[in-house]
Amino acid sequence: MLQLKPYNLLIQKTVSEAVEAAQQGRPLALDRIISDFDYTTFHMYNTAEDQAGTVYLSVRTKAWQSVLQCGGLLEYLQEVYSGCTGVTLLQQPEQGYDLTLALQLTSSPTEDTVLQLSLLKTHIMASPFKLAFKEFDVLKNVPVDPETAQLQQGPASSLFAIQYRDDETIFIKPANDRITVIFDTVFEDETDKIFGKVFLQEFVDARKRNRSIQSAPQVLYSHERPLELGSSNHPNLQGQPSRGYITFVLFPRHFQTQEVQLSSVYQLVLFRNYFHYHIKCAKAYMHSRMRYRVNTFVKVLNRAKVDDDDNDNQPAAESSTGATSTGPTRRTATGRKLVY
Amino acid sequence: MSQSLRPYLNAVRFSLEAALTLSNFSSQEVERHNRPEIEVAHQSAELLLQPMHISRNENEQVLIESSVNSVRVSLMVKQADEIEQILVHKFTRFLEQRAEAFYILRREPIKGYSITFLITNKHTESMKTNKLVDFIIEFMEEVDKEISEMKLFLNARARFVAEAYLGEFVY
Repeated sequence: MLQLKPYNLLIQKTVSEAVEAAQQGRPLALDRIISDFDYTTFHMYNTAEDQAGTVYLSVRTKAWQSVLQCGGLLEYLQEVYSGCTGVTLLQQPEQGYDLTLALQLTSSPTEDTVLQLSLLKTHIMASPFKLAFKEFDVLKNVPVDPETAQLQQGPASSLFAIQYRDDETIFIKPANDRITVIFDTVFEDETDKIFGKVFLQEFVDARKRNRSIQSAPQVLYSHERPLELGSSNHPNLQGQPSRGYITFVLFPRHFQTQEVQLSSVYQLVLFRNYFHYHIKCAKAYMHSRMRYRVNTFVKVLNRAKVDDDDNDNQPAAESSTGATSTGPTRRTATGRKLVY
Repeated sequence: MSQSLRPYLNAVRFSLEAALTLSNFSSQEVERHNRPEIEVAHQSAELLLQPMHISRNENEQVLIESSVNSVRVSLMVKQADEIEQILVHKFTRFLEQRAEAFYILRREPIKGYSITFLITNKHTESMKTNKLVDFIIEFMEEVDKEISEMKLFLNARARFVAEAYLGEFVY
């Protein structure tokens, strides 16, 4: 599994099951907590009175507050789910959750509706990206003042922040010829820090080295605060010199059409998960490799033992008389050779 | 094998062969104790031999401390950068956690070294001395190889992962 999927497989499966069961006239009783990356929790449930009718899907995510502040979130979600028959956003979310969707099972939801439901977390994160795309469309038509152009500054634009973990944030900064997406990261683990550096260096170099991905966004990595962030005083930008900033520079070709926009956003939203997932994979591989290596070392060391395997090939009668309790071939009760 | 590695390993081999002449020796301070004298802080300087320090360069060194009934061999494994430091640390820790399978491995290295072996007279009685020396020499060769392979692998994996990710942006 090289790529992570933007949708949540468990939600997709559960909703499909519920739909199928309802259509066959044997509705399921549902009450499930589903977790996703970045401390996101989903709660899928229905009520006993209305098992055949409605399934509720609630979501709680760290990104919610910051995305709400960017504005336009509820309108965006309304727009996304208006295309899905039978899905409504509840005015009053379930207690302890940020948003609750209701799905009418009687309206025979299509596969696409189910997929859109499983993409809920991604859609929430996508909302600020959409705002940035819109702002770009405005900015690119603003005439550039030659004086500010010399300073390499386009017209002023807003900075969108998605705080998707406690101490990590995605910043999106539209400009008149590009959109800059900045991930600020902190590595908790010392090993992850080193491995992360290796991985990030490859992200930076990959585009230069491989001709076939020349048109991918440019990636930059630094410990210096990027100029795009300007004088933003986001709490995550204060202090902590160990912070790293990963910058993706999106050019207009990365968000030309709706489909391209969507797939760019899916990829970017998953960047941190993808990156950390592969660090873990590398560690796991090393672990199994070390295990193998330890075995080969043990084999070499066992060659050094005086009572080597030659004695095992002797006839049973000889060894039973020959092996006394004090001889060099002393064994424990389980038949293991004593070394000490 | 590089030019300077062979003489280095030879020097370690001959020094180890010279050091591994151990005999059973009961403690002269505590009655009915028989302990590796090299590990005990005590007054009997006559039980300790001159330690041997073999150094290929500042990153690769071997310290052989011998006593009447035990020898302590400490290796410093080459660590060129912080990735290798992490890898060596992980690898030696992994080995030390499995020390009982290795009989002669010390659970903790001497300060300043990556990994330490403790060979007592009981080991030399139950194992062939020259094979023990072979093991340590082979270990020294293999560890360097393993660390550099792991590092190469990490880089290759990172490159592949990065290209696969950015490849998704090519429309």
